[in-house]
Amino acid sequence: MTANILDGIVLGLQFGLLAAGLTLVYGLGGVLNLAYGQMAVVAAIVISLAMDAGLPVFPAVAVGLLAGGMFGLLLDLTLLRPVYRRRDEARVLLSLLLTLGVSFIVDGFLVWRYPLEALSLHIRGGAIEILGVPMRRGSLVASAITLITFAGLYVFFQRTTLGRAVRSVIEDEEGARLVGIYPNRMLRLILILSGVLAGLVAVTRAMITPVDVHSGLSITVFALIVTVVGGLGNVAGALLAGIILGIVNVIAADLIGSYISLIILLGAAAVTILIRPAGLLGVKE
Amino acid sequence: MSNRPTDMSGTSLIGGAEVRSSRPLPVLLIRIAAVGAALALAPLWLGDSRVLMGVAVLGLAFVCYTIGFNLIFGSTGQLFLCVGALAGVGGYGAAILADRVGLSIVASILLATLAATFTGGLLSFVAVRRSLGVIFTGIVTLIFSLSFEALVLGLSDLTGGDTGRLIDSGTDTFLRDRIPPYYVMLALVLVFLLIHGLLRRSHIGWAFRALRDDEVAAELAGVDVARYRVYAALIGAAMLGLAGSTYAFTEGRISPTTFGFGEVDVVVLVMLAFGGIGTLFGPILGAVVFTVLDEVLIEFGQLRVVAYGILIIALFLWMPRGLIPTTASLWRRVRGLEGSSAAKSTDSAARNLKAVSGESQSPE
Repeated sequence: MTANILDGIVLGLQFGLLAAGLTLVYGLGGVLNLAYGQMAVVAAIVISLAMDAGLPVFPAVAVGLLAGGMFGLLLDLTLLRPVYRRRDEARVLLSLLLTLGVSFIVDGFLVWRYPLEALSLHIRGGAIEILGVPMRRGSLVASAITLITFAGLYVFFQRTTLGRAVRSVIEDEEGARLVGIYPNRMLRLILILSGVLAGLVAVTRAMITPVDVHSGLSITVFALIVTVVGGLGNVAGALLAGIILGIVNVIAADLIGSYISLIILLGAAAVTILIRPAGLLGVKE
Repeated sequence: MSNRPTDMSGTSLIGGAEVRSSRPLPVLLIRIAAVGAALALAPLWLGDSRVLMGVAVLGLAFVCYTIGFNLIFGSTGQLFLCVGALAGVGGYGAAILADRVGLSIVASILLATLAATFTGGLLSFVAVRRSLGVIFTGIVTLIFSLSFEALVLGLSDLTGGDTGRLIDSGTDTFLRDRIPPYYVMLALVLVFLLIHGLLRRSHIGWAFRALRDDEVAAELAGVDVARYRVYAALIGAAMLGLAGSTYAFTEGRISPTTFGFGEVDVVVLVMLAFGGIGTLFGPILGAVVFTVLDEVLIEFGQLRVVAYGILIIALFLWMPRGLIPTTASLWRRVRGLEGSSAAKSTDSAARNLKAVSGESQSPE
C-alpha cells in the first residue's frame, strides 16, 4: 500500500505539473491553450536536438525551457491578440480553436521534419529506498523538480509584488486596471511562464518515459482533465487534483488491471466535474 | 461561468448566421435532391478504383458524422467531443452483435444505433441536469471519448484491441462490393439532411434557434431548454450510431483509429467550422471539400497537417461563421448594393428584429 501511494504521488506530481501551465493561462486570460502539449513537445525536441549537437544536459535543458517560453510569447504576440478582444465564452472558444490550429501546425511540422526524434533523460544510479520502498531515481528527481517548481510558484504568487499583481488580475481584471496594473502585460508574462512550465513537463516526463513528437495530444488532454478537476485557474487545485488522480490511478491499476484503471481515473475526473463544476478548490462564481 | 453570450460586438461562433428556414417545403426537397444527384455522380469517374471508392465512402461517413454533430453542437450549443466514440458504440456494437451474438446485420445495426442514441441522450441529460457550459460539456464528453478508447483497447478479445477487428458478417453481400456501399452511405446522408431540414422547419427547430441565440430569453419565453437539448442529442447520437455501424459493415474492418478522437472528432469539428456551424448544407460542403483536399494533397504527407492548421486559423480569424454564411451574407450585400429592394427590406427587417432581441449591430 505504501508503495502504491508513493507511486501514486510520483504520478500525481506529474499530473499536477502538467496542469499548472494550462490552468494559469486559463485563470488569468480565459484562454484555453490546446497547443499546450505541443509546447512541451517543442521544448523536448529542442533539448534533444541540442544534446545531439553536443551540448551538455543542463545548457540543453535551459535552451529547451527558453524555447517553451518563446513559444508562449509568440502565441501572445500573434494569435491571441484577436482572442483578447473577445469576452467570456466566445473568448474561450476562439482561443481553443486557434490553438488547435497551432497544434496541427506544430505536430505536422515536427512529424514531417523529425519523425524519430524523442527525448529521454536517463538518471544514472540504482533505486533509492524511501519508507522501505525502492523508488526509481528518475521518478524521484522528476518529483523533486516538480515540488521545487510548485514551491517557486507559491513564493512567486504569494510573496512577490509581480505575483500579487498577477493574482489581482485573476480576481478582478477591472479592479487591477484601476490600480494601475496592465492585465495584458501580466497575461504575456503568464504565457511565457506557461511555456517554461510546459518545458519542465517535458523534462520531468522524459526522466520516466520518452517524449516523442506524437506526445502532444495526450499531454494536452490529460493537462485539460487535471486542470478542470482542480478548478480552472487554480494552481494549488491542480496539484491536489493531480495527486488524487495519480493515487487513484495507481491503486486501481494495482487492484484491477491497467486499462480499467484508466477508465476509473477518467470516471473519477468526470464525477468530480459533475459534483463540483468549479473544481476541487474552486470557488463558485 | 455564465452560458449567456455577452460578446455583442463580434459575431458569435456558434450559429449566428441563420439561413432563412421558412422557405417552402418543395425548395428544401429540391435542394436536397440536387445535392444527392451531384454526389450520386461521383462513382462515374471514381468507380474504377477500389481505393478511391473507399475514400469516397469514408467521406460520406464523415458527412453523416458532421450532420449529427451539427445537430447537437450547431443547433443547441452542446460541444459533444465524443462524435467518434458515439459512432464507435455503433460500429463496434454492431460488429460484435453480428459476429459474436449472431444477429442479422440489420438487427445489429438497429440495436447498436439504439445503444449510441441512449448513450448520447444520457450524456446530454447529465450535462443539462448539471447545467454545464460549453467547455464543461466538452470536457465531460471528451472524458467519455477517452474511456471508450481505453475500453476498446482493453477488451481486446472482443474488439481486437490495437490492431482492430475484422468483421465476418456481410462479407458476401453487396455491402463489400465496390460501388453499392457508396449509395448506401449516400442514402443515409440524404435521409439525415431531410430529417435536419424538416426539424428546422418544425417547432423543434424554432426552439433550437431560440435557445441557441439566447438561452435565458428562450427559457423565459416558455421553451423547455433542457428537454430540447436532450432531443437534439438523441437525434444526433442516433445519426452518429447509424452512420458508424453502417460504415463498419461496408469497411469490413474497424480499429480504434476508425473512431478515434484525433481521427474523427477533430476532423469533424474542422469540417463543420469550414462549412458553417448551424447551417443545413455546411456539413456537406465541409466534409466533401476536406475529403477531396486530403486526397489531392496526399503526397505531401505530414505537411498536409501543417496546411490544415493554417487553414483552421485563417478560417476562425477571418470567417468564424464558416464558408456558407459568409458567402451568403456577401451575396446578399452585393444584391443589396444593386438595389434589390426586396432583399434590402428583409435584411433591415432582420436587423430590426436582432436589435429588438438585444443583439446590437453597428450601422453599416
